[in-house]
Amino acid sequence: MRQDDRAAEMTRQQHLTQYVCRTRFARRGALSFIGHLDLMKVFERAIRRAELPILYTQGYNPRPMLVFALPLGVGIDTTGDWLDAAMSVPISAEEFVAKVSPQLPDDLEILECIAIDEPERSLMSVVTYAEYTIDAPGISAPAMKLFARETVEIEKKNKKGKIVTSDIRSQMVKPFEDSTEDKIHIMVCAGSTGNLRPDVFLNALCRYEGYPEDKAADAVITRTALYGGEYPDIEGIEGLF
Amino acid sequence: MHTEVKVPRSVLLSVESPGRYVGGEKNQIIKEDVVRELAERGECSAVRTAFCFPDVYEIGMSNLALQILYKLLNSEDYTSCERVFSPWFDMDRKMREHDIPLYSLETKSPLYEFDVVAFTLGYEMAFANVLQMLDLGKVPLRAAERGADDPVVVCGGPVAYNIEPMSDYFDAVFMGEGEEVDLEFTKVIKKYKDSGKKDRKAMLREVAAIDGMYVPSLYEPEYSSDGKFVALHPIDDTVPAKITKRIIKDLDNVIYPTAPVVPNNNIVHDRAYLEIFRGCIRGCRFCQAGYITRPVREKSAEVLLKQGVEIEHNTGYDELGMLSLSTSDYTQLKELTDGLLCAFDGRHTSLSLPSLRIDNFALDLMEKASQTRKTGLTFAPEAGTQRLRDVINKGINEENILGALRLAFMGGWSTVKLYFMLGLPTETMDDVKGIADLAKKIEDLYYDVGREMGVKLRRPEITVSTSMFIPKPFTAFQWEKQNTMEEFLEKQKYLKDLLKKVRSVRYIWHGVETSIWEGVLARGDRRLNDVIYEGYRTGSLFDAWDDNFDYDKWMKILADHGLSWETYARNYEIGDSLPWDHISVGVDRSFFLKERERAYNEEVTPNCREKCSACGAACFKTGVCYETR
Repeated sequence: MRQDDRAAEMTRQQHLTQYVCRTRFARRGALSFIGHLDLMKVFERAIRRAELPILYTQGYNPRPMLVFALPLGVGIDTTGDWLDAAMSVPISAEEFVAKVSPQLPDDLEILECIAIDEPERSLMSVVTYAEYTIDAPGISAPAMKLFARETVEIEKKNKKGKIVTSDIRSQMVKPFEDSTEDKIHIMVCAGSTGNLRPDVFLNALCRYEGYPEDKAADAVITRTALYGGEYPDIEGIEGLF
Repeated sequence: MHTEVKVPRSVLLSVESPGRYVGGEKNQIIKEDVVRELAERGECSAVRTAFCFPDVYEIGMSNLALQILYKLLNSEDYTSCERVFSPWFDMDRKMREHDIPLYSLETKSPLYEFDVVAFTLGYEMAFANVLQMLDLGKVPLRAAERGADDPVVVCGGPVAYNIEPMSDYFDAVFMGEGEEVDLEFTKVIKKYKDSGKKDRKAMLREVAAIDGMYVPSLYEPEYSSDGKFVALHPIDDTVPAKITKRIIKDLDNVIYPTAPVVPNNNIVHDRAYLEIFRGCIRGCRFCQAGYITRPVREKSAEVLLKQGVEIEHNTGYDELGMLSLSTSDYTQLKELTDGLLCAFDGRHTSLSLPSLRIDNFALDLMEKASQTRKTGLTFAPEAGTQRLRDVINKGINEENILGALRLAFMGGWSTVKLYFMLGLPTETMDDVKGIADLAKKIEDLYYDVGREMGVKLRRPEITVSTSMFIPKPFTAFQWEKQNTMEEFLEKQKYLKDLLKKVRSVRYIWHGVETSIWEGVLARGDRRLNDVIYEGYRTGSLFDAWDDNFDYDKWMKILADHGLSWETYARNYEIGDSLPWDHISVGVDRSFFLKERERAYNEEVTPNCREKCSACGAACFKTGVCYETR
């Protein structure tokens, strides 16, 4: 089931009282090389092993009710992603962490959890910004130059398969001051209203600033945080429900 | 202690499904520390095994033998076992480009650093991939080229019963079930390591002395001047002339992986497995699996129930598959499924029950077992006429099939899949026509049921699937000629035209070319070693995937080596030596001959529970042979 469908499903099922465990997690190493749907399955199975009373979607193919804030691309590490797991009875954050953590594969970790009774907004709908760090030799200088541009046009295929140009500059929010020579820390737009993928950012860096493609290909990309709200008035996901 | 192979992110991110190449799954076993400590304390040498599956991760991880032996070879203090799979074309190319050796998923050790490199072989078409894995792992391809420090390369699995086409590449071969013999073997390897790996030849002799182990280099083949296989001679008296497979007598008390590795990415059979019994009582005369696994040995429902609950708990899988050659023949099926369904109540876990013989009990069970809607029904009549079904000893008749389907259609099922084989011994065009006739009868039956029930049914989906008969070693048909390409194609076309007239039928067929080549490999001898090498050298890989298979190329290589399709696919004389005559699966050659005669006389042989036919498998002193009838 697609993320949107899941969200719709969750809304449809509001007659069921939901006790949500909103969970921040980290992934690295082996776990970073699987796709979004696979990651979802890894969590589903971990929660099943933990024997927690997770709710299931209704219908033809019932699945555990898990919603991720924002899909994670293959190859991207995270220390700041969130998911909501819907339970049929109240489960404390402590219990959730204690039971699920030992069931996760090594490169997956629960960082924190907040128990929420019946959230009003779906987790996916609140995400508007994401922070990334990109580790790659000498990446900062060209990245700063890219941020200094008025426009950064890239070509991409639209839904009909036609190549169109679009300006991603407005989606590049800012570089952070803690960036070092070999590590850039940035904030970009994320979520359903406009999403800048870090690999697209890297492509633009190669194209406009002549950053070497082989170095870009080996860059370690980590998503470090997600936010809601409208910049600069932003807020962490943990408070949005 | 070991080299850690580093794969750049850019390489992993440039290939399809990189999750295949990184490991890190729940329940993987990393014994690095234990093994290192042992070695540092100088107590004894650790034996490290790389368990290799010559196909992609998604197929290999669906293999139960891998999960069983992985657990077994990690169970002893001094042993460790890691997994290695065949890299797909894209990764193969990248690894060669960047000089990355093939490595294990657990500790990322290169293949050449392991003490043992063990392959499980389930199908002949994976032969080229064995060479790929050794080659990428920088292990000398041929046993004769390996020195003291090179790994000992071994294999097992159904295809190992006739390993002659690959005999040059393996130091030793396991015949039969591995749960006991594998550890007898690792003890010899440990001794070899403890002695400083001084005498590889002596070690191999010791391996050959283990019951059920075959060391190909200790035998020499002989061929006649007209190109026929004559005999395989032991090089001296100390080498066993006959090797009998090993089996596990008591399956209740043998190791079973109740915490199997749970893949992070989607695999072919993404579910947990419960092996309910080994062997098959049926005795279908073409079926190698049925004969080589004799005698039938069941696990008790009590043990299975306990293991099933544990597996579900340890894996988080939402589906548990019953594994055997014929689910319905399990004598405690009701107790087992009742128990499991009760244990899984409210947990959204379904049971998958393949090869069920359809009756009221089965239909009811299928409904209860599945968490989702009605799945399709599968039948394997194998042949279109009763005459031919009797020839192959397929113990079902048309009334059985139609009777079962009547029940199913009344119960609301509308999807049926039927499996047949073309090219079976004694087959005529009438038998082929019988397939279409049966499909038509099924379609008619469906609408009849609708009329009787007074409801208008939607169109049924009837799938007819044909594969090509391949004569296999250790079957009643091991001497049979295989159909030619032309014969197969003619039958396929004839059937296709007939089935066009049955509206609800979809006809699918397996490739003729791959079946012809599989036929060559299945009954091949040692002369094919060079043929397979040449195929691999010139780029053949993943031949089990139809798209990659190059028939013309293989046939040309065969011809270049002075061999032909006829060398192997011909009709063998009863007096002819067979390349696998030095192996025994417990079933006597005289029994296969008797079964062959009965086949020609269209005589059915009762199944093992109806009446013992004295096939020879009683020599193992266990299982159905010793049940009271």
